[in-house]
Amino acid sequence: MSNASIVIENVTKSFSIKGNKEKVVAVEGISLSVMESEFVALLGPSGCGKSTILRLISSLETPTEGTVKINGELPKSMVSEHSLGVAFQDHALLPWLSVWDNIALPLEIANRPIDTKLVNSLVDLVGLRGFEKARPKQLSGGMRQRVSIARALILSPKVLILDEPFGALDSFTRRQMNIELQRIWSIQKITTVLVTHSVEEAVFLADRIFVLSIRPGKIIREVLVPFDRPREQSIMRSKEFHHLVDELTEALDSTEEINNFDRNISQ
Amino acid sequence: MTGIYPNKNFIFGILGIASFFIFWQIIGHFQLAGLSWPSLTDVLKFLLDPERHGLFIRATVATFRSAVMGFLVGALVGVFLASSAHLLPILRDGSDRFAAVINSVPSIALGPIFLILIDREATPAGVASIHVFFVVYVSMSSGLKSATRDHEDLFTVFGASRIKQFWRLNLPYSAPTIVSGLRLSWPAALIGAIIGEWFGASRGIGILIINAMQNFQINLLWSAVLIAAMMSLLFFGLITLLERLAYQRFR
Repeated sequence: MSNASIVIENVTKSFSIKGNKEKVVAVEGISLSVMESEFVALLGPSGCGKSTILRLISSLETPTEGTVKINGELPKSMVSEHSLGVAFQDHALLPWLSVWDNIALPLEIANRPIDTKLVNSLVDLVGLRGFEKARPKQLSGGMRQRVSIARALILSPKVLILDEPFGALDSFTRRQMNIELQRIWSIQKITTVLVTHSVEEAVFLADRIFVLSIRPGKIIREVLVPFDRPREQSIMRSKEFHHLVDELTEALDSTEEINNFDRNISQ
Repeated sequence: MTGIYPNKNFIFGILGIASFFIFWQIIGHFQLAGLSWPSLTDVLKFLLDPERHGLFIRATVATFRSAVMGFLVGALVGVFLASSAHLLPILRDGSDRFAAVINSVPSIALGPIFLILIDREATPAGVASIHVFFVVYVSMSSGLKSATRDHEDLFTVFGASRIKQFWRLNLPYSAPTIVSGLRLSWPAALIGAIIGEWFGASRGIGILIINAMQNFQINLLWSAVLIAAMMSLLFFGLITLLERLAYQRFR
């Protein structure tokens, strides 16, 4: 945990919207770094630009100002080296491929040999043995997200990017998936950036949490999570856990207040 | 209730066709629409007369062959051009306009050009291929664009090349829409073949239709139309089955 893996310096991203002269500023003056083998969560209300930050890290957007570097390189070159793993809220599995083939797909994309053992071990890791031949539409929402997590891990990425991967799941499945992800992450310890609007999810999974404000997205708070790994489910019932959740919820609520305040002024 | 029991749509389809035939028979039998509307039984008697078997079979085979040739050529050109425009976006504007122009010229006006460019006997297939090309081009182009943004993003972040993304994502995604395009273009291929035959082919359903009209052979005219309709519906149905399979497999 010594070297910075992802360095975001003074990044601003604005979009121009058709028919509107003024540009919309999605994120402004963001500076943050993620250490190697660190799990960082970006927490914020919807519309705070947290997904924009992920899109900047994964080369899907380029910053209007500032720089984003991963291991000293531009995200684009990480992408062409097939060094990023990604999972979205939408599982984005290919409906015509089986579970096994979906997990192996990134190997195919990267022109790497299809390592049967590796694919099988990931099937086991996410607990889908026996479902290898199933099609995505035959699976439950939680199982589909397991496939998408396994697919994100298959290239042994240097950075794992998770954009609300459990956002579409019910709260029970979501908690189960958090426990699973925590277990998986503790084995592989890949540098990870998670975007979420669930405070509990962020506290349970992350080493460090950044809270973002809304429009434009700015970092208003940075919190270190003190729990040791591997984390047991029981910490979710501990006093420190609840204390941290309360603290972060309060920080989030204050962003809403600022937002309401802005709205009142503009009216 | 699938499997042994035919589904509701199928039963309604059969009922629809049956009532169509019954109306045809009634109108023809009582001559409600004048002399030029024969009854179904008269037409069938004419059509199934063993003396004319050779005539009808030769015409059907000729038209079918032209339609299938045109179908294959048109589909291949459509698939090729839609794929190229997808892989090389610089071609997109040009190929879209080309397809639109081809489609807006009435095929009856293209016939003479085909006659000059290619053989008289190949003209029906040529006109058919024009019809098929446009439908396949449009349906495949939209199919190639139908992958979700998340799918596209996923391939981008995993570092997929444009070709890789085409083979692994866009092409499979467009498979059902291509089959839909093929289904819609089969009747168009048949129309194209029949029109093409009017420019001097030696045999075919189109020739029978022209002859029947010129000599006021009502039963021959209706027989030819019935054969054309059957050819159209039969293949339309087969491709519909294929389409269902494609949707099950790829969506």
